Amino acid sequence: MQEIELKNIKKSLTEGTILSGISLQIPAGKFFALLGPSGCGKTTLLRLIAGLESVDEGTILLGGRDITNLPIHRRPINIVFQNYALFPHLNVFDNVAYSLKIKKIPKEIIEQKVIKILESFGLENHIYKPTTRLSGGQQQRVALARAIVNEPAVLLLDEPLAALDFTLRERMLIELIELQDTLKTTFIYVTHDQFEALTVADQMAIMNHQGHIEQIGTPKEIYEFPASSFVAKFVGSTNTLQGTLQKTSPDPQILVPDLGAFSLFIPEYKEWMQEGADILISIRPEKMFISKQELPNFSNRVKASVEAIVYHGRSTQYNVVLHNKLKLQVFEQNEEHFTQEDIDYDNEVFIHWQKESAVILER
Amino acid sequence: MKPTSLRSHEIPFALGAPSLIWQVLFLYLPMLLIVCTSVLSFSAAGKIEGFTLEKIFAFFTPTYLEVISSSLLLGLSNALLCLGIAYPLAYFMASCGKRCKNFLLFLLIIPFWTNFLLHVYAWFFVLEKEGFLNHLLQTLGILSTPIPFMNTLFATMIMMVYYYLPFMVLPIYSSLEKFDARLVEASLDLGATRAQTFRRIVFPLSMPGVRAGFFLVYIPSFGEFAIPELMGGDKQVFVGSDILGDDTGSLGAAFAVVACSILLLSCFAIHLGLHKVTHALQKS
Repeated sequence: MQEIELKNIKKSLTEGTILSGISLQIPAGKFFALLGPSGCGKTTLLRLIAGLESVDEGTILLGGRDITNLPIHRRPINIVFQNYALFPHLNVFDNVAYSLKIKKIPKEIIEQKVIKILESFGLENHIYKPTTRLSGGQQQRVALARAIVNEPAVLLLDEPLAALDFTLRERMLIELIELQDTLKTTFIYVTHDQFEALTVADQMAIMNHQGHIEQIGTPKEIYEFPASSFVAKFVGSTNTLQGTLQKTSPDPQILVPDLGAFSLFIPEYKEWMQEGADILISIRPEKMFISKQELPNFSNRVKASVEAIVYHGRSTQYNVVLHNKLKLQVFEQNEEHFTQEDIDYDNEVFIHWQKESAVILER
Repeated sequence: MKPTSLRSHEIPFALGAPSLIWQVLFLYLPMLLIVCTSVLSFSAAGKIEGFTLEKIFAFFTPTYLEVISSSLLLGLSNALLCLGIAYPLAYFMASCGKRCKNFLLFLLIIPFWTNFLLHVYAWFFVLEKEGFLNHLLQTLGILSTPIPFMNTLFATMIMMVYYYLPFMVLPIYSSLEKFDARLVEASLDLGATRAQTFRRIVFPLSMPGVRAGFFLVYIPSFGEFAIPELMGGDKQVFVGSDILGDDTGSLGAAFAVVACSILLLSCFAIHLGLHKVTHALQKS
């Protein structure tokens, strides 16, 4: 359990510059997720930490110790590869025992450790099977066991669940959280899947297409208070309205062309929040309410017509269009049977939201 | 559905039939004939007189056993030399870019376009007393008087390695080319050095190619007669030229059977040996 600190990391590959000056602090003993779109350089960053690639510039510190030039096999950091990279000529036991055998640990201790860890992963019936005869989920567990048997200071996971089906993935996510909880090892989890990142992470960082880190925070902070429109759109779905900031009135407002003014809640003023500034508000679909009548007690409402209704079971998604052709998404919980008033295609409806639910962003 | 089952069972068999018939007619039947000839005794008129093992036992004499063992040694040393040269070459080929790979493969295959005898004559010019090699060594001041390279074991070995090298490179290359580079990364990540990774991961996984190449080189070099004859003169007698030198036919068949059986046994031994080597490497 050690913290990782990246200082101004730069890296170019043959395809071009991937990372241009990343600084990041990954706290010890935390489950840290690095979320970003494909090709943003998050895997490269992971490979730099592991030592599979060397940095062009910058420093990597592990628990305060500079490991930038430490060769890969001497770093107390292990990685779980996306395709698991299990050794096909070795059986489950020998795969897991690999790092211990390299360390020349006595046979009896290796056997004890390997069997104990395989039992804890529910693989006690597969110890001497070739890895090629295991299912995807079992191979995933072998890869995990192989990476943690040597008790690394940091465990890196590179989209480890990408090859698994949805139900298995959900189960493995829970197992990973529990594993991290017992081991207290620093986990760095790289993914492009916001659901996975939100589920596992204590702390997460969002990287954009240019390889810059847009925001770092807890999943709740990231989801509820996205720091940029990229984060708002990339993590979860959201509705955005563009307009200009009006501060003169007693209540600050956003003036949206063709739609009118909507009241805003500004907990603290930032420097860019000037009168007339171009701003953007982001409102999550589940924080909007749809109804045929105007509902009281909402600070904002707008007229719309229903374009599509998608029934999801626990919720219903309404795609509505405003009179200026702007489209919005609204989620309604299906809390009780038949309490929903009948909203149908092409109905005229009102969309409501509280001003506190809208996040104000710079445009 | 019926058409699918036809496709999956009967068509492959139909496609394989011509080659199967070819093999039976021209490989297995002749081999059977050789075995029969070697254990039957014939009258002077060529009539079969009966069963005998006399001809077989006639070859278990020091002279013939020496011929066989020198052939085994020729095959083994050729295969080992080829392996030593081919492995690094195949490794390099497999690790370079796609265009470079194809170019190197092309270079490797070029010699197959030239007649075998032309190769031999080309080597004559290199190795003879006034040849290229002597000339080069003298110009460099390494030699004062030319060495007669031709008609020596050295010349035989050079030609053997030269001729058989592609048969070793190609299977090793093809097994290394399929190799997943992430396995190397995983091994390094788990604390192994580059050398340990090679011994424990890369080499064992390329073993199918090594084994195929080894036998592809070892077996034909055991019976090789043209190269020792042309390059080595008549100083050293090997199995191939000895069988060829027999004009009775019947004794030659018996010798072939004896030599082949010993070759087969040696193949089993080598197979086990390669297995042992891989295991020992993984433990080190």
